Amino acid sequence: MRRLILFLAVTAALLAAGAAFDWRVDPFGDIYKPGALSAALSSHPNCLVSQELVGARYFAYKLDVFHRRPTRTFVIGSSRVLEIRAHPGEKDFANLGFPGSSPETILSMFRALPARPAQTAYIGVESFWFNPSFVVPVYRPSRFQLAKYLLSWATFHGGYNIVRQAHYILFDRWRREQVGKSCVIGRIYPSIAWNVDGSRTWSWELDPQRFPRFHAPPFTTDLNRLRNGFYANWTSFDTRRVKILEQALALARARGWHVVGFAPPEPPRYLHLLDTDPRIAPQWHEYLRLMPKIFHRYGFRWVGLEDSRSVPCTASEFPDAFHTDAVCSARIRARLDAAAQ
Amino acid sequence: MLFNSFPFIYVFLPVVAIGYFALPNHRLRLLFIVGASYYFYAYAEWWFPALMAGSTAISFTGGLLLESERTARHRKLVLGAGIFGMLALLAYFKYAGFAGGYTLDFVHVLTGRGFPSAHTFVHSIVLPIGISFYTFEGISYMVDVYRGGLRAEHDLLRYAFFISFFPHLIAGPIVRYGILQPQLMTKHRFDADRVRSGLLLFTLGLGKKVLLADGLARWVDHYLSTPGSLGLFEAWASAIGFGFQIYFDFSAYSDMALGLARIFGIELPWNFDRPYTSFSPTEFWRRWHVTLSTWLRDYLYIPLGGNRKGGRRRDANLLVTMGLGGLWHGASLNFVVWGLYQGLLLVGTHHGSRRGWRLPHLAGVVVTFVLVVLGWVLFRMHTADTIGSLYAGMFGLHGTGGVPGHLVLYLVISGFVVWCLPETWRWRVGTWGPMRLVAAATLLAVATASVYTSHPFIYFRF
Repeated sequence: MRRLILFLAVTAALLAAGAAFDWRVDPFGDIYKPGALSAALSSHPNCLVSQELVGARYFAYKLDVFHRRPTRTFVIGSSRVLEIRAHPGEKDFANLGFPGSSPETILSMFRALPARPAQTAYIGVESFWFNPSFVVPVYRPSRFQLAKYLLSWATFHGGYNIVRQAHYILFDRWRREQVGKSCVIGRIYPSIAWNVDGSRTWSWELDPQRFPRFHAPPFTTDLNRLRNGFYANWTSFDTRRVKILEQALALARARGWHVVGFAPPEPPRYLHLLDTDPRIAPQWHEYLRLMPKIFHRYGFRWVGLEDSRSVPCTASEFPDAFHTDAVCSARIRARLDAAAQ
Repeated sequence: MLFNSFPFIYVFLPVVAIGYFALPNHRLRLLFIVGASYYFYAYAEWWFPALMAGSTAISFTGGLLLESERTARHRKLVLGAGIFGMLALLAYFKYAGFAGGYTLDFVHVLTGRGFPSAHTFVHSIVLPIGISFYTFEGISYMVDVYRGGLRAEHDLLRYAFFISFFPHLIAGPIVRYGILQPQLMTKHRFDADRVRSGLLLFTLGLGKKVLLADGLARWVDHYLSTPGSLGLFEAWASAIGFGFQIYFDFSAYSDMALGLARIFGIELPWNFDRPYTSFSPTEFWRRWHVTLSTWLRDYLYIPLGGNRKGGRRRDANLLVTMGLGGLWHGASLNFVVWGLYQGLLLVGTHHGSRRGWRLPHLAGVVVTFVLVVLGWVLFRMHTADTIGSLYAGMFGLHGTGGVPGHLVLYLVISGFVVWCLPETWRWRVGTWGPMRLVAAATLLAVATASVYTSHPFIYFRF
């Protein structure tokens, strides 16, 4: 019996040690680290949090951002709303959007937020969310998934490679670094970073000397390549996701929140493609027709910003022909604030 | 559920082992294992257990009827009906797509009509994993009862345990009821030494799978994906690599099955005994997938007449047996050809030994290994084009090519394990002291951490 216990105990101890190392180093960012946001907030002026430390745990990070601010107004949606920021000195605005958002993530976020005080919510609704082929990435990993992550050799190997580059991670999970004019709570390569209001700052916005500005990919009508294939195989309008979006709106109405829905702007060339390509135009037009109706049904406003010229934003204000930059996003924010009045 | 998966190692196995020994009553324990095994099987597809239950019902009822029938004619009829029922399930799920596909292609050539809906139907038939194994187990049970070597089992629970017991359910070893029945009669007390021995054997199997078989698979798959571009060295290294890979993969599964069964107090028959040390193809089949080769011998080759009806009939019996053995591996022509090739090797060995041809032992081992590796090409590559390309590479028709360094390193390590170490189930793991236990625990920790990138077992698809 003693030898059986020895065998099992050594195995368990080794696995636990590996899991502790993986949790500490977290090479792929699957463990949320609230301390990084605390460190960013405790600096004067506030630092940013490097993407390395947020990893895939956007949902937890955004929820944390919400709770640490006296939030009264927030924007939520896909990566295309991430440059919408708080005004200088504005404490009660938060950006709760994240890459891979969908009606499912919005409903989950609404359910996770406190009902009171009442909020003003700006929801950026993407047309491709209603493509049944659009797959929502895991945004709240289960304990089982986290256990798998911590007990995986691939995680251990990734962690080992990081520690080889930066031994200090074993003792301090992050450090304060100066990137351009900003301070960033980072690890080994802070580039894309998150502001304490939840908005995102591109690497080239942090330090234009060190990081080159993005270049838009060549225009393509190949739906498998266009914008990560979000519009590929879009043959029907996903009514299931429409219902989930309606559930989120119904919850907001029940809580007495004020909601403004909007279509994120499209550069002219892409707007023309969505409008005229026979493979996706019917669904795009259905989206444009249905969204205002749904929002109005729940007593909320809809702002159709799909034509970037109406914001107004120029094509050059879409660095990668998909996301808006900070200047254009500030104009979007102004339009949303006006609609919320 | 795979043995080399997170849910199995961290959830299913601990829960089932603890639950088994926590139950006070022997019959409750049997029931618990049967329930757990059905759950294990349903993890792949919810309807698979229904199929296994149907197969169990056929062979169990067949056994009872064989015992109750007194006339030889009726007994033959019952046996024939039982075997037909079992094989009908196997034929539909495993071979309908194969036979239907070829038939439709033939009709298409003759008539020019494609029958697309029929094509869609035959290609939509899902192969239930493990069906080849439990079908053979059920058939062997009925034949043993028919021959009088075994009394029919009247206890459905014990019989269901025999068919469904999860360690051997998916990929063997092919167990005969005569081996298992005596072990199911009494309750097994918790024995720490036996559990430790079972866990160690499972650990060795898991280590063999994730470190050797999967390590080889990465390189072998890489090279064999483009067989037309392989030079002499790469082609031989890939073919030998596959020979080692399939041995490590399948023998690892068998080690894990033996180890798991031992945890529950059940000893299963071993399946491999250093097959690449064989000095003739005949010996190879006494060491490779032994529970299948003995099954084919006892339930196919001998009933066909074996070697009792002259040399020509023996040769024909060997070819039929091995051809069907090849077909058992998969519904594809390349497996049939591989089986016939193995049959030819056996026929050749018989004729050679009758003429007194005898190689020195080492030369016999080398020649047998080369012949077996040449056969693995038929097993691994599925089309005539790719088989031809790889053989062309092996015979130097694509030039010598470069030396695949990483793969050669794996081959050297594998060769050491294959030719210099005893078969894993022979290791006396029960006597291991603390140092070896710590080493085994380290292996288990590393192997379990590696299961996420692990490949499915090759024999799962059979």
